[in-house]
Amino acid sequence: MSIPNVFNKRNRVLLKELTKTDFKLRYQGSVLGYLWALLRPLMMFAILYIVFAKLLKIGNDIPHYPVYLLTGTTMWSFFTECTSQGIQAIVSRGDLIRKICFPKYIVVVSATLTAVINMLINLGVIIIFALLNGVTPSLSWLLVPFSLLEIYLLSLGIAFLLGAINVKYRDITSIWDVLIQALFYAVPIIYPISMVADTSIIFAKIILLNPITQAIQDIRYNLITQETVTTWSFVNSPFVKILPIVAVVIILILAALYFRKKSKFFAEDI
Amino acid sequence: MTKRAIGTRLEQYTDGEQAISVENLHKSFRLPTEKSFGLKQAIFNALRGIKGYKDQKVLSGLNFQIKKGEFVGIVGRNGSGKSTLLKTLAGIYYPEKGKIIIDGNLVPFIELGVGFNPELTGRENVYLNGAMLGFSNEEMDAMYDEIWDFAELKQFQDQKLKNYSSGMQVRLAFSIAIRASGDILLLDEVLAVGDAAFQQKCNDYFASLYGNQTVILVTHSMENVRKFCDRAILIDKGKITIDGSPDEVASAYENLWK
Repeated sequence: MSIPNVFNKRNRVLLKELTKTDFKLRYQGSVLGYLWALLRPLMMFAILYIVFAKLLKIGNDIPHYPVYLLTGTTMWSFFTECTSQGIQAIVSRGDLIRKICFPKYIVVVSATLTAVINMLINLGVIIIFALLNGVTPSLSWLLVPFSLLEIYLLSLGIAFLLGAINVKYRDITSIWDVLIQALFYAVPIIYPISMVADTSIIFAKIILLNPITQAIQDIRYNLITQETVTTWSFVNSPFVKILPIVAVVIILILAALYFRKKSKFFAEDI
Repeated sequence: MTKRAIGTRLEQYTDGEQAISVENLHKSFRLPTEKSFGLKQAIFNALRGIKGYKDQKVLSGLNFQIKKGEFVGIVGRNGSGKSTLLKTLAGIYYPEKGKIIIDGNLVPFIELGVGFNPELTGRENVYLNGAMLGFSNEEMDAMYDEIWDFAELKQFQDQKLKNYSSGMQVRLAFSIAIRASGDILLLDEVLAVGDAAFQQKCNDYFASLYGNQTVILVTHSMENVRKFCDRAILIDKGKITIDGSPDEVASAYENLWK
């Protein structure tokens, strides 16, 4: 797999067809069809909003808290969907890999693109909610795609790495399911990071060095309210600040190299 | 985990005489020795110092060349390594040792209907399968009607594939597959599809390839070997036993049981 070959015409057509199929099949046979792409995250949001904002009274000091929460849950769903679909992609597309010769990364990318489409639909909903909630549109909205890209690249890195291991050790799927549950609480989605900072500054800093936290906080900062605590404002050292970005780049590169090495044997190992 | 050796497979376009040359090709598979897969077993094996797999030799040192324009049959009993050879030539498996040089655009037909999904309609499946074979959407648009005409299934094009009989599915798949054009075709026992009338169509297609194209055909039918091939290769236990005329190889194959 040489670099100029990566996006040749055949691969692009294949990627497009596989993504289209994945998206079509996802909601196959359900009455509401594609609407589920919207309904699922909205329902998750409703539950969290009732439990945390209304019953536990968390986040009352944050302006536009419902939108703030919805942004967090949507981005989190994006990350979980991207990674879990991506990790399983190689195994679930084993039939293709055993029968034709093509760059294997295509199945991983196509599986994650479905999650990207879902996320973009939900982003539209967030923007509508934000406007209804009185958030004023600003130029900083244009910075949001960079954070989305960061989450996507991180997910892709994880999918490449764990997806390649998953071919031999199917335990990875289950381990990741549990890990992602734990990780959910390590990211300030349902609780504001200020709650953590009140108890321990160090702990808050560690949480903010998680690339997902950094990206989600940036999106909230740029999209909803500049009162959001971000990694850039909370961590002082310029070298430590950039750690989340560096981590994403390193994970992606290492994962891609590992995936490329292992992909030669996918056809016989699946 | 020990490192696996990798041989070379090159696609290089030159004006040489050979379409495919294979030198000392080896391939073995790692078969797990324990029944259960997974992390637990891997850790146990590592602790006990067990490899956890054994190498199953499938191809041991194949040497042959195929000239441009030649129609070569590959025969052998089940498990002799024919399909592995084809898949290695196609680039699905990596050669473990040795060298494969391919001169020209190679189109594998290892299996029909790759990517077919029962939940999609006939139309959607045609485009999907076409993408697998390397066709762009425009190319598919252009040949769409021909495909359905050849398959004689036009009235079912908007039905889901799960409502097709298996014979109908194979016919559709075959009709798409034969649109693929390349310098070298790899065919794996896809001759026997459909009813007698459709088989006649397929045979006509193979006859039309004769003389125009480099073809490697893996088959169990000695009738087809005699009818279509310029040359045949008999493989037994991962080695080439005979490489010669179709008649010679066909009778040797038939004698394997006697």
